[in-house]
Amino acid sequence: MHMADALVAPAVAGTMYLCSGAAAGYSIKKVRLENDAKKIPVMGVMGAFVFAAQMINFTIPGTGSSGHLCGGMMLSALLGPYAGFLTMIGVLLIQCLLFADGGILALGCNVWNMAFYGCFLGAMLIWKNMMKGGTSKARITAVSVLGCVVTLQLGAFSVVLETLASGITELPFVTFVSFMQPIHLAIGLVEGLITAAVLCFVYEARPELLWGISGTEKKEGRFSLRATVVILAAVTVLVGGGLSLAASSFPDGLEWSIEKVTGEPELEAGEGAYDAAAAVQEKTALLPDYAFQNSDSAAGTSFSGIAGALAVAAVCVGCCYLFKFFRKRNL
Amino acid sequence: MREKMSHIHITLSNVTFGYEKNQKILKDITLSFGENERVGIIGANGAGKSTLLKLLVGLYTDFEGSIRVEEIPVEKKMLSRIREKIGYVFQDSDSQLFMSTVYDDVAFAPRNYGFSEEEVERRVNEALEAVHISYLRDRHTYKLSGGEKKLASIATILSMTPDIILMDEPSVALDPKNRRNLIQILNGFGHLKIIASHDLDFIMDTCSRVILINHGRVIKDGPAGEILTDKELLESNGLELPLRFTGRESLFSS
Amino acid sequence: MNKLENAVYEMNLLEEQAGGCGRLNSLPALFKVIITVWYILLTVSFHKYDIFGLLGMGIYPLVLFLIYEIPFRQCIKRIKIILPFLLLAGIANPLLDKNILGSLGNRQVSGGVVSMATLMLKGLFTVLAGYLLIVSTSIEKICGALRKFHMPSILVTMILLIYRYISLLLKETNRVMQAYALRAPGQKGVGFKAWGSLAGLLLLRSMDRAENVYESMCLRGFDGSRGNSFQYTAEQKAKPADYIWLLLWGTGLFSLRIVPLLTIVGSLLVKG
Repeated sequence: MHMADALVAPAVAGTMYLCSGAAAGYSIKKVRLENDAKKIPVMGVMGAFVFAAQMINFTIPGTGSSGHLCGGMMLSALLGPYAGFLTMIGVLLIQCLLFADGGILALGCNVWNMAFYGCFLGAMLIWKNMMKGGTSKARITAVSVLGCVVTLQLGAFSVVLETLASGITELPFVTFVSFMQPIHLAIGLVEGLITAAVLCFVYEARPELLWGISGTEKKEGRFSLRATVVILAAVTVLVGGGLSLAASSFPDGLEWSIEKVTGEPELEAGEGAYDAAAAVQEKTALLPDYAFQNSDSAAGTSFSGIAGALAVAAVCVGCCYLFKFFRKRNL
Repeated sequence: MREKMSHIHITLSNVTFGYEKNQKILKDITLSFGENERVGIIGANGAGKSTLLKLLVGLYTDFEGSIRVEEIPVEKKMLSRIREKIGYVFQDSDSQLFMSTVYDDVAFAPRNYGFSEEEVERRVNEALEAVHISYLRDRHTYKLSGGEKKLASIATILSMTPDIILMDEPSVALDPKNRRNLIQILNGFGHLKIIASHDLDFIMDTCSRVILINHGRVIKDGPAGEILTDKELLESNGLELPLRFTGRESLFSS
Repeated sequence: MNKLENAVYEMNLLEEQAGGCGRLNSLPALFKVIITVWYILLTVSFHKYDIFGLLGMGIYPLVLFLIYEIPFRQCIKRIKIILPFLLLAGIANPLLDKNILGSLGNRQVSGGVVSMATLMLKGLFTVLAGYLLIVSTSIEKICGALRKFHMPSILVTMILLIYRYISLLLKETNRVMQAYALRAPGQKGVGFKAWGSLAGLLLLRSMDRAENVYESMCLRGFDGSRGNSFQYTAEQKAKPADYIWLLLWGTGLFSLRIVPLLTIVGSLLVKG
């Protein structure tokens, strides 16, 4: 769900930077108020943990495909919404810089889509309220699944809105939405279950690590009516989502969608083609020669544009080589 | 030796401590350490060695009894003064080295104590020199080898010029060469050293006094040569003779 | 190499290059961050049909790659990551937008094709710009630059800590996964029954590590109240030549954005 820079217009990117920035500013204020010096190292190490744990492939029973951990929900269940949100920003920033997973300009969007909903809605509304009436493994599972589904739905919806607002795609809103939402419903379910499994384990081993659970009253909460309703809702969603899940064995939502659209997984062109592309780039042989064949036809702007591109590129390359040539002689 | 010889010392009297109320890790410990002493604390896994060291630097302050470091009682308000005098080297170097470069990590403590940048640099250089790793100054901490990491973590505490050095299992994860190097470096220091380890050969090489702990109590306190050769005493407390005293045949015959 | 090992490998590679002493490396990180963001901003602001204007922006990565002799091969992987996403977003354009914009030879070119192409180019250029930044600038220096933009110290400190422990935890996770795989032959991922315990144990160990890190900080005088506890590697002083670099690219990129250089040069050539 990481958005690339090319998918956002500057205005959209700026707006989302402002929104995410405001949420970050508020979180920093809150974390400072807590005045807990330990928060900083815990945020740092847990950020690194989420980064690594998101790379573990969890096999989804009966499908042969795999899902991943939901970072936002996980972090806020451990650190609370504010510290969790800040940690997610750190994780997303490092992903974007080191692995080009998400763009630099689109970081504001990505923080909003992936961290804000998960941490603020997931932790503040869902987790906190549900944990008020006592904690149990069933509750943790229900909350995790519900939280992941809701936050992923909102995240996917935001991706759609941001892309459309940026004027990037001609896809009509309805098509785009009806394409994104079901996929992320399935992903949300799987991520929710995996996250639930981990949180349940932590709850059994070291319950004091979970946020919003007071250490003293760790007694098994009885199944309240509300929890039952929520679990039922989650199960309904599960069955619904199960259909789309069972139909396919996709590695990751967006990639799977692409597979559907292009008929090719991950656009694997083979190393050879990429090497060739690299060689082409190095030699800067820019365009096939057919562009020149009809040079006296009504080529108009398109032809002069291409000619210009070629000329400018040639000049650039020439200048660079000259520059390097002289620099080396000077040394 | 100068006049103020006796100001470097630690005293524990009747110290009892447990992480949870009904489970005491240390029971009624009374000990004292003086200047220039080289003390090894030995005991099987879970005997309470690390906990004892952590109490000395005030990582837990809710113990019973009293601990005084250079006549300063170990309590919350006094922690920053105490920690200026004691350096603690963690078992896991990766926890100790959290800054990205060796320089920044060694500079962390002096900077926190508000020294000027020139003074910080001087201290860092001296600390690195003391463990012979000046060449690692600008390297990234996570790219160091196990031996280099250990030396770098020792440098991080030397930059505060402590009087006392505590080490938790320093020889774990060191290859023989690095281990020998570490022994040499440690033996070159004049500090009061307290080393907790179950590597008895290492203790034999670095310490003159040994304190044997089991189930949270001091079992024996005496010269290293005496305790570390006492096969019965060691075995009854879950330890074994240092390898050098076992002899080859006993390894095969047992 | 699996995903985890590959991530460690990539990080090491990038760090080696960023720690090198190339000319681009010695420029102040602040300037590089400014120019990179400026470039990306200008690039994505092109209209979806303005393909020749956009192509002009290619001068920046082209020149930087050539002058500073930066290996191109590695960033192919990064391009591969984003292309599918862009294809997904743009694939419908040629089908839905059939306005004829012009012709290439005797083929007519529809708006959809052009907008799809600009989308791909934008993706390519922005990824290249990000790559040029990270391949020449270490994370510590970028964090130093972020501090200069007044990013709060708590956030910057945390980012540095995350970065510090990522490679450690990646390696640890990899060991756990290998241990799992050795005893579960034929399984691609982690089986359902181990979902919670495998990642959960890793999590508990990480928490313990965080505890140790915190203790180690406390023992060296850190109490969280002092904002400047974490100092970052001193930023290199900007030389006059660096200011010229900043100014030239700053204005140069902006002129490329507003002046259709390629079309002008081309029309000169075609007429002459």
